[in-house]
Amino acid sequence: MLLTRICRVFSIVLLTSVAAQAAPTIEEGKNLFIANCAACHNKNMKDNLTGPALAGVEERWAAYPRADLYKWIRASQAMVSEGHPRAVELWAKWKPTPMNNFTGLTDEQIESVILYINDVANKKKDDKGPKDDQASTSGGGGNMWLFAGLGLILALLAFALMRIIDNLRNITRVQAGQAPVERTLYQVLTTKGAVAFLVFAATLVFGYKSVDNATAMGRQQNYQPEQPVAFSHKIHAGVNKIDCQYCHDSARRSKHSLIPGTNTCMNCHSAVKKGTISGTAEITKIYASIGFDPITNKYIPDYDSWSDEQIEKLYKQWIGQEYAAANSLPALNDAGRTVVEHQWDGIVKALKNDSNGKIQGPIEWVRIHNLADHAYFNHAQHVSVGQVACQKCHGPVEQMEEVYQYSTLGMGWCINCHRETEVKFNDNDYYKQYARYHEELKSGKREKVTVADIGGLECQKCHY
Amino acid sequence: MHHDNGIWVSTEDLNREQSFLQSAEKEFSVENMTETDGQWAASRRDFLKLMGFGLGAATLAASCEIPVKRAIPFVTKPDAIVPGVANYFASSFVNGGDYCSVLVKTREGRPIKIEGNSLSSVTSGGTSARAQALVLSLYDTRRISSAGTVENGSVKKLSWSDLDNKVKGQLQLGGNIRIISNTNISPTAKKALAEFTAKYPNTRVVTYDPVSSAALLAANEACFGVRGIPSYKFGAADVVLSFGADFLGTWISPVEFARDYASKRKIKSVNNASMSRHYQVESHVSLTGSNADTRVQIKPSEMGAAICALYNEVAALTGGAGIGGPALNDKAKASLKKAASDLVAARGKSLVVCGSNNVMEQMIVNKINDLLGNINSTIDFSVLNNLRQGDERDMARLIGEMNAGQVALAIVWGANPAYELPNADQFKAAFAKVNTRISFSGVMDETTALCSHAAPAHHQLESWGDAEPKTGHYSLIQPTIAPLFDTRQAEHSLLEWAESANLNRQDDQPYYQYLKSHWATDLKAKQSKYSTGAAFWDMSLHDGVFEAAPAPRAVSFNSGAALNASGVSQPGSGAVEISFYETVNIGNGQYAHNPWLQEMPDPVNRTVWGNYLSIPVEWDGNTKMNGWMGLNDGDNVEVEVGGKKLTCTVVRTFGQTPGTVAIALGGGRETGGCGVGYGVNVNPWLPMDGGMIQYFAKDAKVSEKVGVDKHFACVQHHHTMGLAAKDEKSGNTINADEQVLAYQGSLTDRSVIFQANLKELPKLAEKLAEFHHEADHLNQQTLYPDQADYFGTGVKWGMYIDLNSCIGCGACQVACVSENNVPVVGKNEVARHHEMTWLRIDRYFYGDLENPKVVYQPMMCQHCDNAPCENVCPVNATNHSMEGINQMAYNRCIGTRYCANNCPYKVRRFNWLDYTTADIWPANEERLFRVDGDDIPFYADNLVRMVLNPDVTVRSRGVIEKCSFCIQRIQEGKLTAKRENRAVLDNDVRSACQTACPTGAIVFGNLNNPESAVVKAAEGVGDLAYQVLEEINVRPGVKYSAKIYNS
Repeated sequence: MLLTRICRVFSIVLLTSVAAQAAPTIEEGKNLFIANCAACHNKNMKDNLTGPALAGVEERWAAYPRADLYKWIRASQAMVSEGHPRAVELWAKWKPTPMNNFTGLTDEQIESVILYINDVANKKKDDKGPKDDQASTSGGGGNMWLFAGLGLILALLAFALMRIIDNLRNITRVQAGQAPVERTLYQVLTTKGAVAFLVFAATLVFGYKSVDNATAMGRQQNYQPEQPVAFSHKIHAGVNKIDCQYCHDSARRSKHSLIPGTNTCMNCHSAVKKGTISGTAEITKIYASIGFDPITNKYIPDYDSWSDEQIEKLYKQWIGQEYAAANSLPALNDAGRTVVEHQWDGIVKALKNDSNGKIQGPIEWVRIHNLADHAYFNHAQHVSVGQVACQKCHGPVEQMEEVYQYSTLGMGWCINCHRETEVKFNDNDYYKQYARYHEELKSGKREKVTVADIGGLECQKCHY
Repeated sequence: MHHDNGIWVSTEDLNREQSFLQSAEKEFSVENMTETDGQWAASRRDFLKLMGFGLGAATLAASCEIPVKRAIPFVTKPDAIVPGVANYFASSFVNGGDYCSVLVKTREGRPIKIEGNSLSSVTSGGTSARAQALVLSLYDTRRISSAGTVENGSVKKLSWSDLDNKVKGQLQLGGNIRIISNTNISPTAKKALAEFTAKYPNTRVVTYDPVSSAALLAANEACFGVRGIPSYKFGAADVVLSFGADFLGTWISPVEFARDYASKRKIKSVNNASMSRHYQVESHVSLTGSNADTRVQIKPSEMGAAICALYNEVAALTGGAGIGGPALNDKAKASLKKAASDLVAARGKSLVVCGSNNVMEQMIVNKINDLLGNINSTIDFSVLNNLRQGDERDMARLIGEMNAGQVALAIVWGANPAYELPNADQFKAAFAKVNTRISFSGVMDETTALCSHAAPAHHQLESWGDAEPKTGHYSLIQPTIAPLFDTRQAEHSLLEWAESANLNRQDDQPYYQYLKSHWATDLKAKQSKYSTGAAFWDMSLHDGVFEAAPAPRAVSFNSGAALNASGVSQPGSGAVEISFYETVNIGNGQYAHNPWLQEMPDPVNRTVWGNYLSIPVEWDGNTKMNGWMGLNDGDNVEVEVGGKKLTCTVVRTFGQTPGTVAIALGGGRETGGCGVGYGVNVNPWLPMDGGMIQYFAKDAKVSEKVGVDKHFACVQHHHTMGLAAKDEKSGNTINADEQVLAYQGSLTDRSVIFQANLKELPKLAEKLAEFHHEADHLNQQTLYPDQADYFGTGVKWGMYIDLNSCIGCGACQVACVSENNVPVVGKNEVARHHEMTWLRIDRYFYGDLENPKVVYQPMMCQHCDNAPCENVCPVNATNHSMEGINQMAYNRCIGTRYCANNCPYKVRRFNWLDYTTADIWPANEERLFRVDGDDIPFYADNLVRMVLNPDVTVRSRGVIEKCSFCIQRIQEGKLTAKRENRAVLDNDVRSACQTACPTGAIVFGNLNNPESAVVKAAEGVGDLAYQVLEEINVRPGVKYSAKIYNS
């Protein structure tokens, strides 16, 4: 009897785990989405792009069989001509741009994509990076319950004590021949002592929270803005293992680590003309910024004086040509033309903005790491002298499709690192002048020299 | 009368006046705070409104999203520019006859700081306040933004080609053309001018200088056959005598002279100390005179008499014949007799210079130098000084020509005759008769306003150019920023109008090509090191200077040059004589529109924003020093010279010759920028003698007090220390600190300044040794822990200031302002003790009461190891680093100002208002400094803000700030050393004041390195090095040397 039950439970566990392996996954959905959908649908799932935002797609199709949704994704125009009400409605809203056909997708794959869509749509920003010192050392949620429990016990204790005091007082009153006084809970809670305590406690909590929140003001941990060019650090730094300082070359010699100029991109992309993920969509933006003709492999000499129409013609020709070649088409078809239009729109959106009213010119990235103006930070000090890995502050950038701010960049975070980090004391002759420390190290009185030991916590190391 | 320690700062200090104590007490004056003079009318309602707004704003700010910031890279990144790393370009500061070889520091393509260029043998890395302030004038909001016609004082835009066509049309009409300019020292510009003159042969260039040296040029021509100014070798002179020539401040080439002069004044060791001896004969106290060992006081009209007297004495001693001469006061006569014997004793190694603009006087001085054997020795004609070439007699001729209608077209190039000339009125009337009047000026100055066309030239930092300040010393000017406005090089305009075939109009920068080809061909021939023109050009551009060895040239005194005592100025009989002089900062108004220079205190009078009438102080024979005629600082009087009346503000000045007054040139500008409305224009007062401008007038009438300058701005009594007071009841001298000035924290007669005659140097050294010993003993009784171990590890920053080398020129002060984003606060705020300068130059007097000597003491945060300011900060906003730096964290400061109160040196400054307009509140904006006529405060303009150093925080309202020892430079220098795996060296970290100093008076470095220059310098003078207020155990990081004079 027991055995059968154990067997049954075991088999259920086994089955679910097998089933889990075959079922759609978010990870797969993400890959599929990037490969197939991301060209037209916004990755944030919230905003429309060439195609509609996909968040809530399940709810919108809830009135129809699931198969209709699959069918719509695989061949939308067919459904429109069949007169499916939802399909017609959508076409009316989004024509003349038809959705590409994805006949190769299986039901499971589509489910994966939907899972990924829901995941992104519902996801609140995770806390990805390290916290300030106090947050990372505290136990978080677990402690909260502990404190609540303790609080409750203490409150009960206080109540019991109060009752005992009342009773004792009443006994003396009775002994003195007076009538005992029974206080109600309300009366107890409104005594001077209780009110004072509550006010004190409230002030304390309010003050603590104010300071806590005030310190957090202006901080942008996990900030992940959308960039004009969907540059993938994962491809460049992760897969292709390009050194960080190849592009961010001033990190070793300047306080700034420099966003590379378009000419740096061209070092590789004059040869690598199509991206692994996005094909011509993103790399053409580089060409349009600097004025490189990918068809003839030449820089355009008077690019600055080109009109938008000239630029449009050139790069549309390039995108179209590449699309046709990739799909082995003799001439550009409708779908191809859509892709061309779509990619061209992307170029214009990325390069033309209020501060630069034309396509030519710099790519204006959105700055992610915004250190306060009154804080001095020098990349060269950390990269060249301290030999701190970029990832220590910037996180696993080589795994990031889109970069986000990994660390808090708060002062507590800086200070903590300065307290813990050991100085490369013996490798650099600069530190020879710290004779006392060298003696102490030799005599064993001191184990290590941290940044704090050589003044790394002093105000004017960072604020002046 | 003897002062207790022989040092004083002013009459009030001497008299121990109660009013002075009150004034000194006001570290931050609050007298005007409640006054409603139309500027400060905030009511309770306003306060509540602002508070409401403030709460609202705070709530809004807290709930708003953080704005999206962009990071915009280059499209094609230039190799040379690394964002965050400064680039330095060698260039030159040239303004008429002012020259300094400089390095321009740029950040991300924006010039932000001027440094000296040590490769130049003329200036040797020194700078002047004027050179330091060059960057701010680049970002002048009043610059003319395009070419055009001038209508009612503003420019109506024309395209350059339209202007060129108009001008060429006029030029081709064939009338006489005159180019009016100050001294032009550019060889290539002269080449361009020659091309222009060749094309239009009826062109003549008329040159004059804002402050004339015409007589010197004429005298040299008469005496030596050379119309030029020789090289004066102050570094080789054991005895120097100057007749009113302010050679350390303004005369010809002050940066060069100051370095040479100081090299002979440094005390290198206590034993066998030697230094040059310096006599100055003058009526008002010039910067040079204040540094002299002996000042000989004369009335300005006695200059001729003094020169003759010296001549007679020297002739007597050298066996020549005297020339007689007018009578001179006995005191001066006696001094000059002594001077003559000193000069003769140092024959061939002495030097007599003269600032007078009287040809005969200059000729007699030449003869004195000849008698002394100084010609071809300390006075060298093989290398001529090109910095003064003008002659105002030429201008007089031009005015005649213009009046006669003989001039069809006039071009004004780098001159402002409508302001600078004494006969400006005549000039204006005559100028109006010229048909076409073109100005190259970048701002709407008085002359440009009278022109018909403006062809604004680039600012110097946007230009190509060159200079030849001395024979064979060539210096390049290169642009450090693309032109901010639609301007064009003056030389380009001239070549364009001359239709020059040598100007490559297709090039982006035609004048660059023109300049380069001149250097690569003509100048290349003067050297043999580089065989190709391109290599020569590249190297010259890199170094900024090219120096060709001059051919030696010996001159002899022309026996035909007749000396005649009747040709010198004759003593006047008027009751009051007035002299006019150029200040270090403003010149003759050329620099009046530069706020940094306006707010730099005049070294001698310590006044800012305007020119003030210096009056003598008089000893009442009993107990008091009084201002002449009972006048007080800030009183207004009416002064009449030559029938023209002006109202001037008085400042009492020690050392001003009795019976004389003096006032600086350069005030009362009428148009063109921030200088408008400050001071009075005294140029119309200058008399002419023999066609030459005289810088004194014999008969001035000074009225009784007619009013008071409510905002009299003299920083002398601001942030004072080391003062004694007199108890009103007992009459005893008391410690001001304990009795009266608890708030101020002043200290009675303590160790601020030490001075002695060279002869008594060993005695002073002994006294100081004793003092050090005593101070050390006192300081042993301390509650502070011993920190020798703590500070002995790693670097400990410190400074040494040689008061013997410091001449008080103020270059360091402007450099500090430029480096550290110190705001300009304006005259009214200075009057309220609110100036923000981190470095001030204190002026102390010693010696004879009526003719005292002066010590200048640069005073900045002393970075005390036992800093009194740190202990009293309630929020620990100021604290100490293990490198010995007294740190200031602005973001932590809550503005209690306890630290400022507790600072014995009075070096902390409080941001009373939002001076840099970091976040404007309307009530604050009222009092902020703004250029006359501007709607917005000075710093609110984005153009002005381009001058800010991005490495230094711009402070906001309500926080204290002070000298940081240029912590940003320390950080940079340390990083360089670390990246190169080596110890930090002297050259890695040099403070802004140090690099600016023309005389090397300031040395900064690592006190823990026994080999560092700062340690060596202080050790060299042994016991003469002291810390200010050494005995109070604050352990400052700055050491000074005692001031030694040689008389």
